[in-house]
Amino acid sequence: MTRLNRVFAAALVLVASTAWSAGFVPDKSSLTFVGKQMGAPVEGRFRHFDGDIVFNPADLAHSHARIEVDLASIDLASDESESEIKGKSWFHVTAHPKAVFESTTIRALGGDRYEVKGRLMVKGITRELTLPLQVHRVGGLMVAEGSTVLRRTDFNVGEGVWADPDSVALEVRVNYKMTLKS
Amino acid sequence: MMQTQKYSSTAITLHWLIALLIAVAFVVGLYVADLELSPWKLKILTWHKWTGVTIFLLVLLRILWRLSHRPPEMPAGMTALMKKLANLTHLAIYLLMVAVPILGWLHSSAAGVSVVYLNLIPLPDLVGKDKALSHLFGELHENAAWVLVGLVGLHVAAALKHQLVDKDNLLNRMRW
Repeated sequence: MTRLNRVFAAALVLVASTAWSAGFVPDKSSLTFVGKQMGAPVEGRFRHFDGDIVFNPADLAHSHARIEVDLASIDLASDESESEIKGKSWFHVTAHPKAVFESTTIRALGGDRYEVKGRLMVKGITRELTLPLQVHRVGGLMVAEGSTVLRRTDFNVGEGVWADPDSVALEVRVNYKMTLKS
Repeated sequence: MMQTQKYSSTAITLHWLIALLIAVAFVVGLYVADLELSPWKLKILTWHKWTGVTIFLLVLLRILWRLSHRPPEMPAGMTALMKKLANLTHLAIYLLMVAVPILGWLHSSAAGVSVVYLNLIPLPDLVGKDKALSHLFGELHENAAWVLVGLVGLHVAAALKHQLVDKDNLLNRMRW
C-alpha cells in the first residue's frame, strides 16, 4: 500500500465513521400526518418535537434515536379541532403531553435505506414499531425520512364516539423527516 | 299583461334545482357552524360540501346555458332603471353562486381537509394548509352566503311584486 493510499483509506474510514448526532435541525425537520375524515384526506403536523439522535452508518450498533413530540403543538384544521384532539378522548395532553419514540435497533437494508425498530409511547401505551428510513446528504446535513401508518386506536387515540372509523379513519399516515448536523 | 315568452325548460329546471339546493346548503351551513365538534358534525359538514359542489357544477351549467340562450325579454312595463337593477341583481346572484362554493372549498383546503366529492372524486386543494387563512375563508364564505341569501330575498320579493302588484304574470316564465 502506498503512502497516498494509506492516507486515502484513513480518510475514508474517518468520513464513514462520522457520527451524525445531537445537532438536530428543527426548522429543517418535520413531522406531518394525513388521516381521513368521512373518507377525505386531512393533514396536520406537529410544530415542536425534539430529537436526540446519533446516526452513524458505519456503526449502527451504537446509533440510536429518541424523538419526543410535544403533542400540544399539533397544527390541525381549526382551533376547534385542535382543542378537541388535545382533549381526553384523543391525546389527553394534560396527562400525556409527549409522544416518545425510542429506537432499539437500526438495520441497513442496502443503499440509502435503513430500518429502525423501536418503541412508540403515546397516551401511556407503548408499542413496538418498525420504521423505514431513507437517508441522504444535503450539503453538510443528513436527512433521514420516511413514513409509516399507525392505527390510532392502538394508542386509544379517538375514544368513545370517535372510535367509529367511518367518521375518522383508524389509519393515520405519519411522515417524518429528521435533519441532522454532524 | 300576459307574459307569453318563457325560459327554456333546461333553464327552468336548473333554476329551481339550484334554488332548492341553496336553501338546503344555507340552512345546513348555519346549523353545522353552531354544532360542537362530533362525528355527526363531520358527517353534516361533508354533506354540506357535497351540496356546495353540486350547486357549483349546476351553476356552471346554468351560466353556460344562459350565455348560449337568450333569456326572455323583461316585461314591457318596467322602467329602464328597474331593468338595469334587475339585471345587476341577477349578475350579482350569479357571481355569488360561484363565489360562495369556491370560498367554501378554499376554507376546507386551507384547513388541510381535502374535498372528495360524493366520496368518489377528489378535488384538488386550492391552497396549502394555513389555519389562519382557513378561518378567514370561512368568514368570507359565511358572509358571502348571507349576501347571496339577501339578494335571493330581493329577487323573490321582486318576483312577487310583479306577480301580485303589477299582475304581469312574470312567474309564468319560470314555470314548467
